[in-house]
Amino acid sequence: MNAPTDRDLILRARRGDAEAYGDLVSRHQTSVFNVCYRILHNRADAEDLAQETFIRALDRLHTFDLEREFSPWIRRVAANLCLNHIESHKSTAPLDEERDEDKTQGPSEQVEVKERSEQIRSALASLPPHYRLVVELRHYQELSYDEIASELNIPLSDVKSHLFRARKLLAEKLHASD
Amino acid sequence: MHLTNEQLNEYLDNASTERAFIETHLDSCDECAARLSAFQALFTDLDSLPEVTLSRDIAALFRPRPSLAPQLPPWLTLTASLQAAAALVALIIAIPFFSVMLPQVEAPSFTTWFFEIQSLWTSWLDTLSTFQLPTYQFTNLPTYPVELSTLFIALAVVSIFWIFGNGLLLRNRHS
Repeated sequence: MNAPTDRDLILRARRGDAEAYGDLVSRHQTSVFNVCYRILHNRADAEDLAQETFIRALDRLHTFDLEREFSPWIRRVAANLCLNHIESHKSTAPLDEERDEDKTQGPSEQVEVKERSEQIRSALASLPPHYRLVVELRHYQELSYDEIASELNIPLSDVKSHLFRARKLLAEKLHASD
Repeated sequence: MHLTNEQLNEYLDNASTERAFIETHLDSCDECAARLSAFQALFTDLDSLPEVTLSRDIAALFRPRPSLAPQLPPWLTLTASLQAAAALVALIIAIPFFSVMLPQVEAPSFTTWFFEIQSLWTSWLDTLSTFQLPTYQFTNLPTYPVELSTLFIALAVVSIFWIFGNGLLLRNRHS
């Protein structure tokens, strides 16, 4: 039997089927958590925000346009929640020292990947919140400049300046750590 | 004249309206080509960031929780049955005692008590040495083939068993 599509699960969840919404969350929770983790760089906060994202999404599920893809929508909800979280918690939480793992590689390669990943995450975490969010939306959610401007309700020129400056800063930090 | 960072970024984002001009320039300018390579390396770095796994299952929060009955393990269901049986046995043991003891206990009325208290108060010092609490004599108590103390110990054990069983049931409900 074919697995139900996101659309099927959303329709069932709208009728009050909690199991269906649980399946939908199960399907997208890792990608949503990673959006939060890339922006916040703090595991506990990222998990809380990922949970909050799905709670908000459940409240807004009846307004979700079924012609759209669920995954980009829920990841954008998560990104916006993270931005709100950053703005309401200006004193930033301590950043995690967690290392990324890739079990498909040998021990020495794993160490290299972990170190490089940690450098990238640290560089991302050091960016101003708005820069971080624009990088998330462009690189990981693959939104166009116009879509980012619309999503964040900022002028197109700001999107470009945030993104280009963010990339310049990232390149400098990562180049300096090479 | 070299390409600007904005031109290079837009080119990599497929948002440039002057792609042909940029490509022609890159073919002849090593410096701009190197800057483009640096940006491409950054894109590769960002794309290579692996996904991190969650430490808890968020989906479980949204799934319906099964009711208490199916959660009970078989041994706990057995405990509940044994509790009921033990309570029934305790009740059967206690009934003959209460049926004999209760009718013999005469509860004095309020006025009688009041009168007695007044009398005691007025003659307190004189009667203190001779005052005795009213005693009741129980007759026709049922007899069991076991010692009465053994029965009380059995009742105490049943009570402890009852409290322990309830504790287990409540803990299972909260978990």
